[in-house]
Amino acid sequence: MANQMGNAYALTLLCPIRHGVPEQCPEGLAGQLCADCVRYLLQDVMRVSEDSPMARVPNTYLSRFYILDDVPYQGKPAVLEHLKSNYLVFSANFHGDLDTWLTGMWSAIQPEIRDLLQYCFGFDTVHDCASFITWIRKCQVETTFFFDGSTDEPLAVQLKNLYLKQEFSDFVFANQGNSPEAIQANFREFVARTQPGNIDGPTWKPGAYSLDNVVTGLKAREAGGQ
Amino acid sequence: MISKLDLPDIQGNIVKAYGRYGYPRARYVFYQIRDATKGRKFVEKVNPLVTTSVPWSEDSPSLPAVAVNIAFTYQGLKHLDVPEDTLHGFPDEFSMGMKARRDIIGDTGPNHFKHWDKIWRSPDDKEDKYGQNIHILIGINAKEEGPLEAAYQQICGILAAATGGVIQLSGHRGANGDEDLPYQSAIASDSDREHFGYADGISTSYFEGCRENRRYVVGGGKPTGLDPTTPAGWAPLAAGEFVFGHADESGAYPEAPGPPLFSRNGTYMVYRKLHQNVATFREFLKAEGPKFGGVEAFAAKLSGRWRNGAPLATFPAEESADAFVLELDTLLMKSRQGQASAAENARLEKLRLQLTAFDYNDDSNGARCPFSSHTRRNNPRSALQFGVSKPFDTPGALSNRRRILRRGLPYGTSDENSTDDGDHGVIMMIVNADLSRQFEFVQEQWVNYGNDFRLSNDRDPLLGNHGFNENGRGNGRMVIEGDPGAKRPPYFCSGIPTMVETRGGDYFFVPSMTCLRMIAMGIVDPT
Amino acid sequence: MSNIAGKAYAMNVITPLRWYTAWITKLTFWIAAKRPSTTLGLQTLSLIHYARWVVIRSDQFPRVSEKQPREELKYNYMMFFSNFNGSWDQYVDSFSSAIPAGLNMFWVLNIKYPRSVPMLPFHRYITSNQIWTDHYYNAYPMAASNDVKAAQRVGNGLLGFIDDTKNSSPDDFQRKYNELLLTLQHDVSRMGPNPIVSLSAWAVEKRLRDEHQTAGAQTHG
Repeated sequence: MANQMGNAYALTLLCPIRHGVPEQCPEGLAGQLCADCVRYLLQDVMRVSEDSPMARVPNTYLSRFYILDDVPYQGKPAVLEHLKSNYLVFSANFHGDLDTWLTGMWSAIQPEIRDLLQYCFGFDTVHDCASFITWIRKCQVETTFFFDGSTDEPLAVQLKNLYLKQEFSDFVFANQGNSPEAIQANFREFVARTQPGNIDGPTWKPGAYSLDNVVTGLKAREAGGQ
Repeated sequence: MISKLDLPDIQGNIVKAYGRYGYPRARYVFYQIRDATKGRKFVEKVNPLVTTSVPWSEDSPSLPAVAVNIAFTYQGLKHLDVPEDTLHGFPDEFSMGMKARRDIIGDTGPNHFKHWDKIWRSPDDKEDKYGQNIHILIGINAKEEGPLEAAYQQICGILAAATGGVIQLSGHRGANGDEDLPYQSAIASDSDREHFGYADGISTSYFEGCRENRRYVVGGGKPTGLDPTTPAGWAPLAAGEFVFGHADESGAYPEAPGPPLFSRNGTYMVYRKLHQNVATFREFLKAEGPKFGGVEAFAAKLSGRWRNGAPLATFPAEESADAFVLELDTLLMKSRQGQASAAENARLEKLRLQLTAFDYNDDSNGARCPFSSHTRRNNPRSALQFGVSKPFDTPGALSNRRRILRRGLPYGTSDENSTDDGDHGVIMMIVNADLSRQFEFVQEQWVNYGNDFRLSNDRDPLLGNHGFNENGRGNGRMVIEGDPGAKRPPYFCSGIPTMVETRGGDYFFVPSMTCLRMIAMGIVDPT
Repeated sequence: MSNIAGKAYAMNVITPLRWYTAWITKLTFWIAAKRPSTTLGLQTLSLIHYARWVVIRSDQFPRVSEKQPREELKYNYMMFFSNFNGSWDQYVDSFSSAIPAGLNMFWVLNIKYPRSVPMLPFHRYITSNQIWTDHYYNAYPMAASNDVKAAQRVGNGLLGFIDDTKNSSPDDFQRKYNELLLTLQHDVSRMGPNPIVSLSAWAVEKRLRDEHQTAGAQTHG
């Protein structure tokens, strides 16, 4: 099936949420249903996206959560029907294979994952990475058609390339009209500073919203760099 | 798609660019309604003066001496007691007014309303709350100053009879440090050039049923996919893109407030006073021109047309552009004096066609006309196909619903010694049936952003709000594409200053003649 | 709760399919995937990072434990997830104007699907079946899909260029540099935050950032 397009993976999960009011709930939500506790956590804890825990999960391009409370009714003459459970729907696009990505998620944000998924059926069977992967696979639905309008490189490569695009943009505009010697000398400095071949060197931070804090991996701010 | 347009019911400024018919002068007068009954009476008395879209022939000697039109803001309609139900049928952008939309359309920084002419500002204005003092706009267009003044006095007389129920607002900036003028004047120059020196008003949208000269369909309509250098390459746009009550390009009536008779044959008009920093522009050309290949060549790249009007897509070289315009102007003069032979008139038509009969399919790398140039951004024609063969249902699929009609005139005077703070710019009036889908979209996505042209965050070089870098210099950038054939590398232009600044404006509803009468009678009722 | 993360918008739609049509729909998608012409329009629109359709048969809703009741549904369901650039209106309008046949092909068997033209019924169909995102993460909020693709070209171009000009004289360097610029001329525009397309989304974002900053300032004194 079409979960994968090249090295880009499209993961869709429908995680069934337990019914009724949970024993433990977030502060201020006593008496609220499991589904609404999950919804609150998503809306509140992860309010400002650059603090999203997903930024810490390696190779994640884009991901989203929503609560599916019920199937939509189209109006007569369509049949009115209902889901028996609410589902936490999770859709993610990432680089690589599923097991590696899930392992990365478990290693990076286990506490947040537990906080969120504890309200789901069967999550009490999850106690380590392997059982986490097993549970997730049970929640997975197969993608029917995956359209990749972007690239399928590792995230670190995408981020490094974005960093280079921005820096090279500044370089090109700043060097317009310079002599060949000057451009060549400046380019050597550019390469030393931006380290195009080095993924671990200066690059863009995942999830950054502002040009003021997007560059990471530098020891000190370069003059004229942005 | 054939539209049946009752032109006598549609106000003239929608269908006609008065400048094209030889009306180079205008006054734009603004009013506030203090008493609804007297306001309706005022409208009732102005209505017989209003010019409609009845077809004119360009050479007709019997055109009226003046053309008068009237339009209303949301608050204006409200103060005339147009019912709440009808008012609620207007979209948010219209009821909020243009000041409230500033973040979307880029009226920030130097374009912020705190810098606008006094008349547009209100004592209620705060960062997040704004007054809309202006209720009525009356535009008077004329060939000569005498009839213009006479028409203005006639309207002043009607105003006097309203005994304070309607007042005329002052507060327009003018020459000599004037801050409080009673109306906004506008005047086209003899050379038909605007203040940056570009020939203007060459291309305008053409819609089905407008009955304007069919030559304007070429380039003014939508591309058909056939040869764009011939009339077969163009078809009129659907009338509903510009007039309520008629099918638009998506095959539906545009959304409009009810009852249907209220909005039918009406439309929206955006009034914007755009100040031009002529000295900044001049200095910028002087500084960049020599680096690029000459001031004219550089000016052409910013716009997409040479300053004499020849389109870059057809005339990439200055010599051929000059030769073309010279021949065109010579034949035009001869023809106007009745001295052109049949062959010369035929040649003239062919040349006139070339002003607008082009597309970008042969220029899919931007070597001739830069992706970022003003005209390519604001009217991309088939360019958003990026040279791919038939990816979309129709070649203009992504641009046919973003078209606008440009009306209005330059204001003020300028010469080669003018400073930025002089009184010069353009009164831009933009007609469309959907403010957010047409005008606002173009401002937000095509003027102050670049993703649709694959240019990240780059802005329109002439119109964009470029901001300042830490040295106080302009922060705009533009790629002027290279030409592999001519072995010319791309030119990366930075430090582009903001050259056009908003100094006032708002969103207006231009009612049909029927609607004007209904408003005056106070009988609008959506029940 | 926001559908917007920087330059990307997360659209989630779920719609019912007649019970006997799941396999036809899956076949339609399978054929579409095999034919480049289907995706030519999508690729040229260039508005999308990643998008997917998921057809779930009525008996395929995940069941992970005995305690979880089995779903009993008459319809099958189609879920649509898109990460696109630009506003909702621009996105839906682009599809409706540019590739209406493609849209119809994918949605035609959905219950009460109105067809993609004219637009207003189609807009209403999407909106009434759209579910708002509770949390949306974007690894590069300041990069549109066009930017990510351009960045790939710049990155690869630079590496090749560095190699190519290791021992170049200044003139040789200049010549190759100009060639590089010609190839990359549409890939080196500067990126920045998304323009404001929605005043309400902007108001929420501004409020959250201000609170976030205040909270941060209070913590760090």
